[in-house]
Amino acid sequence: MNARLARLVLRRIGAALCSLLFVVVAIFALTAALPGDVADMLLGQNATPDATQALRHALHLDQPLWLRFMHWCGGMLHGNAGNSLLTGRPVSEMLAPRLYNSLLLAGATTLVAVPLALVLGLACATWRDSVFDRVMTVLTLGIVSVPAFLIATVSVFVFAVQFRVVPALSDIRSIHSVGQFFLTFAMPVATLASITMAQMIRMIRACMIDVFSAPYMEMAVIKGVPPVRIMLHHALPNAIGPVANAIALSLSSLLGGVVVIETIFNYPGLAQLMVDSVMSRDVPIIQACTLLFCMTYLFLTTLADIVALASVPKGRGA
Amino acid sequence: MRGGRAPYGKAGALGRRQALRLAGAGLFAATLPARAVRAAGAQDPQPRRGGHLNFAGLAASTADTLDPARFALATDYIRGHMFYDGLVMLDAEMMPHPALAERLESDDLQTWHITLRRGVTFHDGAALTAADVVYSLARHKDPAVGSQQRVIAQEMADIQAVGPLDVRVTLRGPNADFPSMLGIVSFSIVRNGTTDFSQANGTGPYTCTEFTPGVRTSGQRNPDYWRSPAPWLDSVDMIGISDDMSRHNALLSHDVDIIASVNPRLVRLLRTRGFGIMESPVGTYTDLAIRLDEGPGRSQDFVTGMKYLFNREQVRDSVFLGFARMGNDQPIPPEHRYFAADLPQRPFDPDRARFYLRRSGMMETGVPLVCSPAALASVDIAVVLQYAAQQVGLSLPIRRMPADGYWTEYWMKTPMGFGNTNPRPSLDMTFALNFASGAPWNESRWRDPRFDQLLLAARAQRDEAVRRQIYHDMQVMIHEGAGICLPAFTTSLDAFNPRVRGLAPSQAGQLMGFDFLSHVWLDDAAGGAA
Amino acid sequence: MSGMTTGFRALRLPSLTPAQRVMGLFGFWLVLAVCGPFFAPYAPGQIIDTEVFAPLSHRHWLGTDYLGRDLGSRLLYAVRYTVLICTLSTAFSCGCGILLGIATTATPAWMEQVAGRLMDGILSIPSLLCALLVIAAFGDSLLALVLTLGVIYTPGAYRTSRALALRIARMDYITVAVARGEGALFIIWREILPNMRGPLLADVGLRFIYAVLLLSNLSFLGLGVQPPLVDLGSLVRENVLGLVYGSGAVILPTIVIGVLTVGINLVLDGTSRR
Repeated sequence: MNARLARLVLRRIGAALCSLLFVVVAIFALTAALPGDVADMLLGQNATPDATQALRHALHLDQPLWLRFMHWCGGMLHGNAGNSLLTGRPVSEMLAPRLYNSLLLAGATTLVAVPLALVLGLACATWRDSVFDRVMTVLTLGIVSVPAFLIATVSVFVFAVQFRVVPALSDIRSIHSVGQFFLTFAMPVATLASITMAQMIRMIRACMIDVFSAPYMEMAVIKGVPPVRIMLHHALPNAIGPVANAIALSLSSLLGGVVVIETIFNYPGLAQLMVDSVMSRDVPIIQACTLLFCMTYLFLTTLADIVALASVPKGRGA
Repeated sequence: MRGGRAPYGKAGALGRRQALRLAGAGLFAATLPARAVRAAGAQDPQPRRGGHLNFAGLAASTADTLDPARFALATDYIRGHMFYDGLVMLDAEMMPHPALAERLESDDLQTWHITLRRGVTFHDGAALTAADVVYSLARHKDPAVGSQQRVIAQEMADIQAVGPLDVRVTLRGPNADFPSMLGIVSFSIVRNGTTDFSQANGTGPYTCTEFTPGVRTSGQRNPDYWRSPAPWLDSVDMIGISDDMSRHNALLSHDVDIIASVNPRLVRLLRTRGFGIMESPVGTYTDLAIRLDEGPGRSQDFVTGMKYLFNREQVRDSVFLGFARMGNDQPIPPEHRYFAADLPQRPFDPDRARFYLRRSGMMETGVPLVCSPAALASVDIAVVLQYAAQQVGLSLPIRRMPADGYWTEYWMKTPMGFGNTNPRPSLDMTFALNFASGAPWNESRWRDPRFDQLLLAARAQRDEAVRRQIYHDMQVMIHEGAGICLPAFTTSLDAFNPRVRGLAPSQAGQLMGFDFLSHVWLDDAAGGAA
Repeated sequence: MSGMTTGFRALRLPSLTPAQRVMGLFGFWLVLAVCGPFFAPYAPGQIIDTEVFAPLSHRHWLGTDYLGRDLGSRLLYAVRYTVLICTLSTAFSCGCGILLGIATTATPAWMEQVAGRLMDGILSIPSLLCALLVIAAFGDSLLALVLTLGVIYTPGAYRTSRALALRIARMDYITVAVARGEGALFIIWREILPNMRGPLLADVGLRFIYAVLLLSNLSFLGLGVQPPLVDLGSLVRENVLGLVYGSGAVILPTIVIGVLTVGINLVLDGTSRR
């Protein structure tokens, strides 16, 4: 069992490296294919052809694409992600505080969302078609289908402007106590968690119900095993694979897919940095951010796969 | 994906170039009153020192900079005024006043002598010298610096230090408006040899305590500021919130005290909650440029027809909710002292439009209106125009382009496209950079040799009356000849908590020509808004 | 199936099968999408009132939007574009994703590897970058829009269906079918797909919702329905400031999105009840 797991992990790491390589090349090519470069974006409306050309030269953007890519790869091999084309600062220095912020937000959201989603999703499946299940279904679907910016905006307007119980902006610097921590993070985490949870509850419920329809489950029902026991001892082990996968997919977007939340709460995270960098064609930062997002995604999905594979043999005979 | 990049994305650039002019002569004496006095206002109580102010502007991104040469957005200009000073500052009517330059003199309007103020020090303690000024001005001409003002800076053919506090600038040709040009925030003075702009070392009213691009700029009162007693505040925090609703929410929830770029649609709410609104009549405009050298614009009838299709009142009232002044297809706003007031307002006239468009034979052109969130309100203006065109039988598809890359990829490159232009410090610069035959940003490719001659004549003209007449004629020529349809000049809106005092509108740009931090003070007795 | 649901089934509409309900609901929205705009009292770009965010009145039944245009007319147009574009792109992404997800459980390992890495790669490319690139390369046509939305959501569908298919592929009845010598397509169609229908349809439903939301983000960037036309999400976005005045211009399109997406998800849920 352990040897099998180890082999699997190694294979997945190898595969992950392939994916990373693909992504790195793809992103480099895609950003190069985008109209305009950092020189164009810097000068913007005030650009003239000769000024842009001169700036391009000063930033070494007139070198061939493959050469710039090689330079970048060479730097990465030495653990140097390069300097931002826009600010001239090292990429790592610009990334680090943002990564910290993003991890903080993603971590807090995960802590809230995953346990709640599991409990609620399982409950929905256990008491399928009950009033509780119906209400939860409509509620989760409703939350998912309302645009995130609207949820965030409405909650800020209600809780920060009308009732004045929380700040409208999430300023990490203002945190000096546990209480302040909760106040500062309450709104973004609540918004983000409700959206993530809604997705996860939907998928968990569907996976569990699917497992319920298996013949051995019907046997258990006929034998008169109580629903909660069926759920925890018979159904859950069999559904772990798809459930883990659904959770991993939902969580993987918490770093890079939360631009709306970061914008509305003025929370300086990675997603915003990524958008800024795409807008200004700051290739080294785009590359670094994409690598981070990709690695997070690969890590989470690999974890899900391992959980899934590890759970299969036990489940079959149940 | 970034959800909140405001539809009025480039509103952050509202008035990103200021405009002012030194009337008449080339002599620029230090007898003009310092501006700080006026800002205090008559009815205001005595300004009080102290307190901390939170400000939220429209834009924050990693493109935020402390390098004056790279200032591009309104938030950059505010940051510039916070930490730096220029040789010249502009007042609310955009007249130049002495700042770091004590005197600015020229006999022939081509060679200018700048005498610097004595006893001014940088934040690191070094004294201001001529070498700093030479460095600060000359670097704009270096292409590697990537200056936003390179084209303008190239007017300065030679910049020399002729004494410890004396600089001589030789222009390419006579230009009476040179002092106004120095009022552009980008020409702020930095310490000689500065290449690292991760910190600001200027002479300005605040010293920089934190600068994180895309996040925050913080400043502390500079105790040695030469314009003492300004500034009044002890410290300032500046952030950017691009999402309109969030920025207003931050003000409403008292997280910040002032916000820039208020959306006209939220003015009613802010007023009922007791917040103050400042309306600044800046000369920013969004225009439709019809290229005269390709597509339907080659027909003069088509261009004239299009100009009659603009329902300017509707643009003003529905798009800007009245916070705008009607335009008349020429770039000088009504408040400007050279505004050609006797030029008849071009009306919205569908019948005449239909007549001209039919005569042009371009009714079936199918050429799209290219617009973008990058050009303030251009998508909405395009919708208004499209509907009017539809009523006269002209079908104009709209193509809304991403704000990303709009200026480099689409602006001035399509037969009919929208642009957004901020006022420049002088009419001369507006005409020379946007309308002269060889102008780099001649949106409609309009060429008129007589206009070019008038431009040169005005530059070397000292007689105020003659100059006024020349500028009047030039406005008429643009109104009639150029392919520019200019529906409205926008009014810049800022909102503030009533405890913030000392604000006054300025033509030079939002928030007192971006310089509000030298003027405002906090009145804690004012109670605050609901 | 199990007795758990029978009690509630009595409460449901007795005469319609789940499949009929799906067809009925889709039919309703399609008819609305195609015919709705013919009943719009005003042109989508016509400013009819100087009052913005006006409340409901006899002149404009649903009030006006942020420019003073008739909200009702704009809603009818928005339904058309959202329903058509999102249906097509969801069909595309789920079709590709599911087919690939199931197929790779049976194909040689290297094919699974290639497909897997490709999907991971696509998922890692920020959709902002994708969208900007599509605009630059293919312009802003509706077809480009459908394909962009489709490609962006293919990897998700792939992963979900693969995870489900992997589990089913190990089931005894599949082994039996393979032993019987059935063809791969037969197995996929008759044995695997029906058995993963429940979670798969939940996933399809979610993806439809995502497409509705992403469509408004893309419109915001410039890739999308061109003004004065609009999609439902963009209608919410452009009127969001009306929120503070309690304007219907932001509330009504949100409700329409909710009714559309929740409804479709509920009937899709219903089909998994056997």
